[in-house]
Amino acid sequence: MTRLSLEDVSVAYGRHRVIHGVSIPPVEDGQLLGLLGPNASGKSTLLRALSREHPSSGRITVDGRAIHEFSHADWYRSVAAMPQVPPALSALRPVELVWSTARTLGLGLSDRALGARIDGLFQSLGLDAVAMAPLATLSGGKRQLVGFALAMIRDPDLMLLDEPTSALDLYWRLSLMDIVRDRLSTRGGVGVIAVHDLDIAARYCDCLALIHEGRLIATGTSAEVLTSAHLSVVYGVETDIRTGPDGRPEVRVLRTNRSPQ
Amino acid sequence: MASTLQAYAGLTRRRYTVLGLLSVGLLLSLLLDLSAGPAGLGIGDIVGGLLDPDSLDMRHRVILWQVRLPDALIAVVVGAALGLAGVETQTILDNPLASPFTLGVSSAAVLGASVAIVLTPAMPLIPQTAALPALALVFALGAGAVILIVVRFGGGARETVVLFGIAMVFLCNALTSALHYVADADAIQQIVFWTIGNLTRAGWWEVAIVSACVLVIVPFSLRHVWWMTMLRGGEGYARSAGLDVARLRVQVILRTSVLAAFAVCFVGSIGFVGLVGPHIARLLLGEDHRALVPGAAICGALMLSAASFLSKSVLPGAIVPVGILTAVIGVPVFLVLLAVQRRMR
Repeated sequence: MTRLSLEDVSVAYGRHRVIHGVSIPPVEDGQLLGLLGPNASGKSTLLRALSREHPSSGRITVDGRAIHEFSHADWYRSVAAMPQVPPALSALRPVELVWSTARTLGLGLSDRALGARIDGLFQSLGLDAVAMAPLATLSGGKRQLVGFALAMIRDPDLMLLDEPTSALDLYWRLSLMDIVRDRLSTRGGVGVIAVHDLDIAARYCDCLALIHEGRLIATGTSAEVLTSAHLSVVYGVETDIRTGPDGRPEVRVLRTNRSPQ
Repeated sequence: MASTLQAYAGLTRRRYTVLGLLSVGLLLSLLLDLSAGPAGLGIGDIVGGLLDPDSLDMRHRVILWQVRLPDALIAVVVGAALGLAGVETQTILDNPLASPFTLGVSSAAVLGASVAIVLTPAMPLIPQTAALPALALVFALGAGAVILIVVRFGGGARETVVLFGIAMVFLCNALTSALHYVADADAIQQIVFWTIGNLTRAGWWEVAIVSACVLVIVPFSLRHVWWMTMLRGGEGYARSAGLDVARLRVQVILRTSVLAAFAVCFVGSIGFVGLVGPHIARLLLGEDHRALVPGAAICGALMLSAASFLSKSVLPGAIVPVGILTAVIGVPVFLVLLAVQRRMR
C-alpha cells in the first residue's frame, strides 16, 4: 500500500523560489494525481522535488516516511521518474538503454527474467519491432515510449511522469494512459502525472492539482478543479464545460481572453 | 520471432567476436612493428626470440629486447591509454569532439616540455632527459587539475567544461609561442620535434610506468560501464535512475587526465588517436560500453602500433615521426568505416 502526501512544499533555484508552499491532500494507493498548469507554472519542478532530484522544503512523505529517509537503492528501485524530454538521439538501442538502466538499478533479476520483463514491456508499448534499432532512427513518439519503458522497468510503487504523452499520437496517448491506469488498479501504487491535455486529465486522473506561477490554485476532483473560472485565471481562455456521460467534465475551449505575453 | 533476450545476446556475442578480431589484429600489428627495420629479423625470428631469447644471437637479442620491444610496446600502451581516455571523455561530456586533448592536457604537456627544453641548458645539474618528461607530466596533470576544479566547483555543466578546456588549449599554446619567441633555433627545433610525437624515446621504464597507469585505471573504467552506457540515453534518465552525473564526471575527468598526461609525457603530443580511436570503436562495436571501453583501448593501441610500423617502413633508413602518420592512416580508415556503415543501413 502506497500513500503520497505533500505539505507546505516549496522549491527554489538559488534564491529564486518557484514553488510556494504547495499542500495537496494525500494521494491514496491506486490513485493518479494530475498536475495541471500553463508552461513554466512549476509542474516539472514539483515533480523533480517529489523524485528527490531537486531539494525542497516542507514535507513530502511516502507511506508516512519523508522521502529523504529512504536509502538511495530502495528509493530508485521503487520510484520511477520519467523526464519530460525523450531519450537522446544516439546510436544506443532501446534494449541496451533499458538493460543498462536495469543493471544500474541493481534489480536483482537474472538475464532471463530481465529479458522477459523487457519483452513484456516492449510488446505492450509496440516497441518490440524497434528494440534493436538505434535511438537516433526512432521518431520522437517511439523514443518517448522507450522513456516510459525505462521508468517501468523497475516495477515502481510511485510513478512520477512528466508529460509522458506529449509526443504521442492519439492511439498511443490513450494506450499509455490505459497502461498507467490498469497498473494502478491491479498492482497498486501511486501515480503523479504532469499533463497539458485537460481531456486526459479529466478522463484518467482521480484528483487534480492546478498550479499557476508556483502556487496551488485548486485541488480536488476533476469537477472541482476544471471550472471556467479556474481555467480563465490560469490559462487565460474562455471555456464551455459540460458534464459527460461518465460524470466527468468535458472542456471545450472557446477563445483566449487576454493578449499573448 | 526471436525474443529481445535472444537478439540482445546475439548482438553482444557479435561484439565480443569483433573485440577478439581487433585483439588478433593488434597482435599481428605488434609482430609487424617488431619485425620492421634493417636488422633482417623476420616474424619467425621475432616469435622465436620472444619465446626463447637464447635462440637469437647476441646482436639480434639486444635489438629485439632493448630497442624494438620497448618502442613497439610503448605504442601499444600509449595508444590504449589515449583510446580509453578519449572514449570516456566523449561519453561523459556527450561531445564527439571531446578528448583529453581538447581539454588542454596535451597543450599543457607541450608547454611543460618546452619549459624543460628552454630552461635546462641554464641548469646543468638537471639532465634534460629527466626534466622533459617530468615537466610535461606536471604541466599535463596541472591542466587536468584545473579542469577538475572547474567541473567540481563550477557546476560541472558539459558546455562549461568544453569551453574552459578550449580556453586552456589557447592559453598553453600562447605561452608555448612566447617560449618560441625567446628560445634559440636549437631549442625551437627540439620543441617542434617533441610536439610531433615520437615513440623511439621510450625504454622499459617508460613502458612500465604507462602500463601501470593503464592497469590501475582500467578497473575503474570497467566498473562504470553500465552507467556510461545509460548516459548515452541522456542525463535526465540517468539521474532518474539515481546516477550522480556530476560526481561521475569528476571521476572520469580525473582518470582520463591522468591517463593522457602519462601517455604524452614520454612520447610527445599524439592527440589524434584519442579522438578517432574511440569513433572507430563506436562504428565497429556500438554504444554498449562493456564492449566499447576495451574496444576503444584496442583501437587506439592498434592505430598507434600500425603507425609505428609504418613510421619505420615508409622511408627506408629513416623513421617518420609517428604523430604525422596517426592522422595519415587514421582518417582514411575512419572514412572507409563511415562509408561501409552508411551502406549497411
